Amino acid sequence: MPDSAQLQTFTAGVETAVDVAQIERQLHELWQLAAESAKDPSQRQITRACLLNFIVFCETDEESAHASEVISTLTSQHPCRAIVLLVQPDVASAELSASISAHCHLAGTGQKQVCCEQIAIHASGPGVAHLGAAVLPLLESDLPTVLWWQGDFLKRIDLFRRLVAVANRVIYDTSTWADPQSQLGTLARAITEYPRGSFADLSWTRLGLWRRLTAEFFDEPNCRTELARIRAVDIVHGRGPGAGLRALLYGSWIATQLNWPVAEARKKIHLSEREDHDATSVGILSIAIQTDDATFSIRKNFGESTASATIDMPNACGLPRKRAFWPEDDVSLLSQELDRCARDTVYEKSLAVAVIVLENSSP
Amino acid sequence: MQSAPPTNPLQEGLSAQRTPEPCVLVIFGATGDLTHRKLVPALYNLAHEGQLPQSFAIVGFARRPKTHDQFRAELRDSVAQSSRFQPINPAVWDALAQGIFYHQSEFADAQGYQKLDTLLQKLDAERGTAGNRLFYLATAPTEFIGIIEQLGANGLVHSKHTPTASQRIIVEKPFGRSLATAEELNHSLANVFDERQIFRIDHYLGKETVQNIAALRFANEIFEPLWNQKYVDHIQITVAESLGVEGRGGYYDGSGALRDMVQNHMMQLLSLVAMEPPTTLDGASIHDEKVKVLRAIRPMTPEQVQQFTLRGQYARGSMAGQAVPAYREEKNVAPDSRTETFVALKLFIENWRWFGVPFYLRHGKRLPRSVAEIAVQFKAPPAVLFAAESPAALQPNALMMRIQPDEGIAIRMNAKVPGNALNLQPVKMDFRYGGSFGAHSPEAYERLLHDAIIGDSTLFTRRDEVERSWQIVDAIIEGWNTASAPFSYESGTWGPPEADKFIERDGREWRRP
Repeated sequence: MPDSAQLQTFTAGVETAVDVAQIERQLHELWQLAAESAKDPSQRQITRACLLNFIVFCETDEESAHASEVISTLTSQHPCRAIVLLVQPDVASAELSASISAHCHLAGTGQKQVCCEQIAIHASGPGVAHLGAAVLPLLESDLPTVLWWQGDFLKRIDLFRRLVAVANRVIYDTSTWADPQSQLGTLARAITEYPRGSFADLSWTRLGLWRRLTAEFFDEPNCRTELARIRAVDIVHGRGPGAGLRALLYGSWIATQLNWPVAEARKKIHLSEREDHDATSVGILSIAIQTDDATFSIRKNFGESTASATIDMPNACGLPRKRAFWPEDDVSLLSQELDRCARDTVYEKSLAVAVIVLENSSP
Repeated sequence: MQSAPPTNPLQEGLSAQRTPEPCVLVIFGATGDLTHRKLVPALYNLAHEGQLPQSFAIVGFARRPKTHDQFRAELRDSVAQSSRFQPINPAVWDALAQGIFYHQSEFADAQGYQKLDTLLQKLDAERGTAGNRLFYLATAPTEFIGIIEQLGANGLVHSKHTPTASQRIIVEKPFGRSLATAEELNHSLANVFDERQIFRIDHYLGKETVQNIAALRFANEIFEPLWNQKYVDHIQITVAESLGVEGRGGYYDGSGALRDMVQNHMMQLLSLVAMEPPTTLDGASIHDEKVKVLRAIRPMTPEQVQQFTLRGQYARGSMAGQAVPAYREEKNVAPDSRTETFVALKLFIENWRWFGVPFYLRHGKRLPRSVAEIAVQFKAPPAVLFAAESPAALQPNALMMRIQPDEGIAIRMNAKVPGNALNLQPVKMDFRYGGSFGAHSPEAYERLLHDAIIGDSTLFTRRDEVERSWQIVDAIIEGWNTASAPFSYESGTWGPPEADKFIERDGREWRRP
């Protein structure tokens, strides 16, 4: 049975090594001790909270440290059991080790602390083979399981398949992949293998404001008629990581939602790259949707984390709008995705169209 | 000309949160406590979360002379004290403060409204607020009708400059003090605004747990089949306050607990917990169902008022180790006042679902703690199996919805005590918002202001709901006119001892929330 010093270490977020087979038991004893301590009015009350299992896949110590930082903040909005996997199959020595810690946040203005547990598992060499069996019994029953895969999962497709089988939702970020466009087809096929799961690309999440501003142009019925008269969609993007893919996904989204056949999409959607010296750049730089009588434009404002939307049309519907981009750090993006419970079919359809567009563009 | 598709295909998959249109919020009573403690901190919180329109302005309308900068500085202090985001983010505040203006005028001065119109047009041109107005009546209720008439008479509502713009009005409580005065206020509003432009605020409806009542009932299959007279023994709605009248003696003495709390907040809670499933979640469908409940409440004759209601008034006592005065010793309270500070009601809803199920409502000031909850008490299970072993312990199941503090839901059930004997003990399954979701819930005024800006009236009360509530309350007040004085209760207790007898004669007891 752990003592109060161990409990204090645990709730302070310090990692404590634990035998893989004893993780559950050790956690149970620590929470039991916390519940008993709470009866003492001089002690701060601790409540354990958990709404989901959150598995994070990491391949380097840096990724693992980053994951812990993200979880530390994310748990204040999304209480979870976090399971951080540091997987290094290319290391020769076999290892399967674990540690536990907690992330605690003060609830409201009171003295109660709401805590979430983090289990870190390090698997290397042949130890990686035991990873699936180590993770499965650690999943809290009856709660959704989200897998956040840092890096390119297509490189570790076998391991990915093992973990994705237990996940309800998979989150990844193609902008961190070396060459995402060449892998889009494989990604789309991997998604179709798991019709019960849902997939989220943080590159797609970053398109949120662009999509919303575009959609708002056409909320008014007299502007909505222009949707059938679009002649061209010009998308200018920078040269940063994933910028080209983001522009492609945006164009594919328009084509998907307006039911354009691929030939029409290829004719109307124009992607162009531009040198970008804006430190606040977010990938896409501007979008112009042209119809016979109108131009609907969105552009990123130089040096600001904002975008402006304007309509050039007789009897224009709506004033120019300026909106701030949502923060693009991993905590904010993941939080947005964790708020979404349902499968993102719009993303999946847009990805499928992007794949077809790319295949038709190949020489 | 091609016709527009019925829906916007590009909105598919985007969150349903609507974009607020540009607007100017004009607050009447801008130097008052409500503006400083609730409204402007809520607006700052909305700005902090990026939920205000890009083109937005606030105009404070009040009598005292003040410059724009003085007004902004005072509001900044209020935000620093009352916002849930601490410390103040200077960038967020500065952006909000640039759009804050002060307009000094008497409420009855027509010229003041004409000058207000000029200021608003100037803001439309300079800040792109597009002629959209949201008027907020945060003054003393005696000013409401005069302000509404001035708004209409001076052309601020159906603006000739921007005929397609929206103009809305938020009316604070109290919404009248009887059916007659509520009708008069409604009539005055209807002369100037359409019903869809009127937002009668009841800040309880902005609370997260109150909104969750519909989610709990209609998004969980396990509860709704039990939510009727076949399984429910009775329902208790408690809104307890540990505070006394706190300097509002003058107002409160002319109002009382029934008008101050039951007519509005508690009737809303009752209608939400008892209503039938609405056909959709839009405002009109929910208002329709709520008003059906209020219409189905059995009217009371003066004789039944004596039987089904009880009132009390707090005497001296002690709260948190401090002696506190009696109600009649409070400032601006008549020494022989008969105003109730405690009220208990037993109401019946005469419809298929609730026939014969009593709804006990209890509210009081200077009770041991401040708490608001709804408890659904289910019928007791047949005492065949466990009666011999645990006759006393076999308590009926209860579902508690805690509205404040510690918002959450708990279920009480019976469980076997570990050991060789077959002993039962009631245990509680407890869900707390703070513990599960972690995130700080927005303040009620944030949600309500946001909804009024986007024109969603779901969480506001409709004319027929308000008038029907007053009808019920007026009948009770009429019955009390011929009754004896309220029972006295010691401050810091759960009301007069007669309140216990009131429910015990039905074979039930008050919960200790």
